[in-house]
Amino acid sequence: MAGDAPLLEVRDLACHFFTLDGVVRAVDGVSLSLARGETLGIVGESGCGKSVTALSILRLIQKGAGRIVGGSVRFEGRELTTLSDEEIKELRGHRISMIFQEPMTSLNPVLTVGVQIAENVVRHTGAGWREAMDRAVEMLRLVRVPDPERRVHDYPHQLSGGMRQRVMIAIALSCDPQLLIADEPTTALDVTIQAQILELMVELKEKTGTAIMMITHDLGVVAETCQRVMVMYAGRKVEEAPVGELFANPLHPYTRGLMRARPRLDEDAEGSGRRPRLQEIPGIVPALNRPIAGCAFAPRCALATDRCRAERPELEERPGGHLVACFEAGKGVP
Amino acid sequence: MFAYVIGRLLATIPVMAVVAVFVFFLLRIAPGDPAAIIAGDDATTQDIENIRAKLGLDRPMLEQFALWCWRLMQGDLGISIFSNLPVTQLIAQRLEPTLALTISTLLVAVVLAVPMGVLAAWKARSLADRVVMGFAVMGFAVPVFLAGYILIYVFSIKLGWLPVQGYRPIAQGLWPFVEGLILPSIALGTTYCALIARITRASMLEVLSQDYIRTAESKGLATPRVLLLHALKNSAVPIVTVIGIGIALLISGVVITETVFNIPGLGRLTVDAVLKRDYPIVQGLILVFAAGKVLVNLMIDISYAFLDPRIRY
Amino acid sequence: MPSSIPASGTEAPAAEAPPQGPWTFARRNPTIVIGGLLMLVLVGIALAAPWIAGDPLKLAPVNRLRPPSERFWFGTDQFGRDVYARTVHGARVSLVVGFSVAIAASLIGLAIGLLCGFYRTVDAIAMRIMDGIMAIPSILLAIALITLTRPGLWVVIAAIVIPEIPRIVRLTRSVVLSLRAQPFIEAAIAGGTRTPRLLLRHILPNTLAPLIVQSTYIAASAILTEAGLSFLGVGVPPEIPSWGNIIAQGRSFFLIAPWSILIPGVFLAVMVLGVNMLGDGLRDRLDPRLARRM
Repeated sequence: MAGDAPLLEVRDLACHFFTLDGVVRAVDGVSLSLARGETLGIVGESGCGKSVTALSILRLIQKGAGRIVGGSVRFEGRELTTLSDEEIKELRGHRISMIFQEPMTSLNPVLTVGVQIAENVVRHTGAGWREAMDRAVEMLRLVRVPDPERRVHDYPHQLSGGMRQRVMIAIALSCDPQLLIADEPTTALDVTIQAQILELMVELKEKTGTAIMMITHDLGVVAETCQRVMVMYAGRKVEEAPVGELFANPLHPYTRGLMRARPRLDEDAEGSGRRPRLQEIPGIVPALNRPIAGCAFAPRCALATDRCRAERPELEERPGGHLVACFEAGKGVP
Repeated sequence: MFAYVIGRLLATIPVMAVVAVFVFFLLRIAPGDPAAIIAGDDATTQDIENIRAKLGLDRPMLEQFALWCWRLMQGDLGISIFSNLPVTQLIAQRLEPTLALTISTLLVAVVLAVPMGVLAAWKARSLADRVVMGFAVMGFAVPVFLAGYILIYVFSIKLGWLPVQGYRPIAQGLWPFVEGLILPSIALGTTYCALIARITRASMLEVLSQDYIRTAESKGLATPRVLLLHALKNSAVPIVTVIGIGIALLISGVVITETVFNIPGLGRLTVDAVLKRDYPIVQGLILVFAAGKVLVNLMIDISYAFLDPRIRY
Repeated sequence: MPSSIPASGTEAPAAEAPPQGPWTFARRNPTIVIGGLLMLVLVGIALAAPWIAGDPLKLAPVNRLRPPSERFWFGTDQFGRDVYARTVHGARVSLVVGFSVAIAASLIGLAIGLLCGFYRTVDAIAMRIMDGIMAIPSILLAIALITLTRPGLWVVIAAIVIPEIPRIVRLTRSVVLSLRAQPFIEAAIAGGTRTPRLLLRHILPNTLAPLIVQSTYIAASAILTEAGLSFLGVGVPPEIPSWGNIIAQGRSFFLIAPWSILIPGVFLAVMVLGVNMLGDGLRDRLDPRLARRM
């Protein structure tokens, strides 16, 4: 990794949702950093706070009951949490872009895809509409949408799911952002289309040098696209490592559980000729509206000790650029 | 798109046909003898027979129906029993005031309600939102005559700013025309405005929670653009729908408003006709109002094609 | 307990709900509570009318056009009649009309709607008739019906009921049609369930919630319509004090005695508000799907 300052640096970010049922600590002290041109994966199951973390970077959380209550987010050296609304809007779509999970509903049904790409260009570069529409066609070509001159006048409902996601990518990259946040970009797509989109993203990244924050629950996606990975659980970061290192040597019991839980076609239980049962992690995710004492994963962890239940483990460095927050890290059956 | 428009146009024909048939039978299935009721309690048998003849009830049913259809196609709505003038003529005479009132109310209501609804949705749960919702709920309960009399009391009697009643045709000058329509439009439009504001807010709220609005915000677009282009355009269909449905409210209210403010329009004509039991006029008015309603709904249907590309393609 | 094969889907912060009591209910459903209270008060007043108010018909020209005072809480009209007494008795008319219309329209509409959902021919004919009725503005239809018959309270009620039927028919019909397409109904029919049982056990319960909500709105609309008709002079006969009547009779003396118009008017607005709020609150509880569109 380069020695210059990180592109994005998040420290102790805390986001709470103020609901009728109490305060939900969706993100509870998360730190991460991303260098220029790097791809960081954020993995975890639903409700672990990965999306909320991403949305907080762009301050898209403020709308509902959610609020950033602590921590800092520095992008290119600037503190984002204290920027004015005008300033953060300058950054959105321009220096930091985001793509979302549901391509079917993330595009405005009453505007053409061309307009939706062009308006981003007009907003941030001061180009005229004619120029912006040309750029839109160019972007469609870049994301490999066939027949872009015609397609640019189509409405979203006339395109397939895979095409719409390409349009989303086109919008996101239209102003050459430094950082692209991708929140589960392929989850809602068919498997074959998933592969195409991921391939496209990797290719575009090489071409443009954009850093990517890839949020997903799918370890396969992480393996294919990311250079570094962090694992989140119940609003906290529990492990982080370069991708090879994480897959070869998962240290946190949760991460190990995730790795084990993946269905494998090639395993054969003790040569019996039958595939072994899927390993599940027993228990459920804790409710986030009560403060959690100790390690959040303790109730479900086979290795949990009293210390784990009483004290919250901090992230510790291990060899190979590996961070893990666990008192029993690395012990037990891998 | 063209096919859509033609389709909607053709769909109005069966509806009008049904209305015509329905109105035809209305007179004939009413319990009792309509001619006797119309003639009144102290009418002679001869009077009753006269009225029966005027209503055309003395001929065989089929002949009545054929005559009815024939006349309708020519725009002949019958003859008033008591004034012996063609109903069409009476209606034409009173059309302008009602049209002016309806259009001005429509404009006032929409121009006030839509921004209110957008504001309330944008600043959901804030004071502005509660004020708008409060207005929407209360405005809907205020009967037209109450609103009318309160407005007259405050603005005409106590403050003397606006005329108490009456109608000034536009031929007599633009300002008197407008002046005379302000209070009636507000009285008539209150309920309508409340309804539209409410639906606008609800529709906008639903739209603002959609993913594509999140996408628009993630592009850093300016708030007016997000609200008006991205959000409002998507909310338009339910809003326009309720504007169309509300026209029915307006028509009912017109009758009362014209009575309160003494405006010589179709509403007053209706009341006068009913009190005298001049049924042909009432019948003609039903047909005219129904046609108006169908026409408005047709325009609303066609506007959908412009507002929502999914309907066009 | 299983599950944590990493699942997909949108993220939702997990939470547990605290226990609920009556105050929590009131806080979260203010519309039902306020609307309900308003209605209770008004119904109470209406029922107690003969005891708490005087004689609405008593003429005493010597007391004509007195402003509100100790003796005459709401003043008197041009015949010396006590406006307070007339207003309180007027509440009864409005309530009777409101409830009768709501119940009648709901029952008739429900019956027709159910039939339409099941029998094609009935559907074809009935829906055309409903289209016809709906195309005619309701007050005009009511007026036309009244023109053709002798005056009376029940005539007014019938005249208001008829234009409200199509809305209920459409509602019930659409519920029936969408239910019929559901697999569990198909299964029931395939299993040999006869139509009446099907209606009673499966279809009817699903129509009740939106029906109840819609009938409160119809009640509110009916109250306003009756007042309007009486105001125009074509509603309830003048001997029966209805708020519309009272206002109509107060018209000529509006300038010198505004109370006989304004006070019944306010009562009318409050009653309609109460019914509407009750309807909104019921809708939020019983049928949240509709709530999203309101």
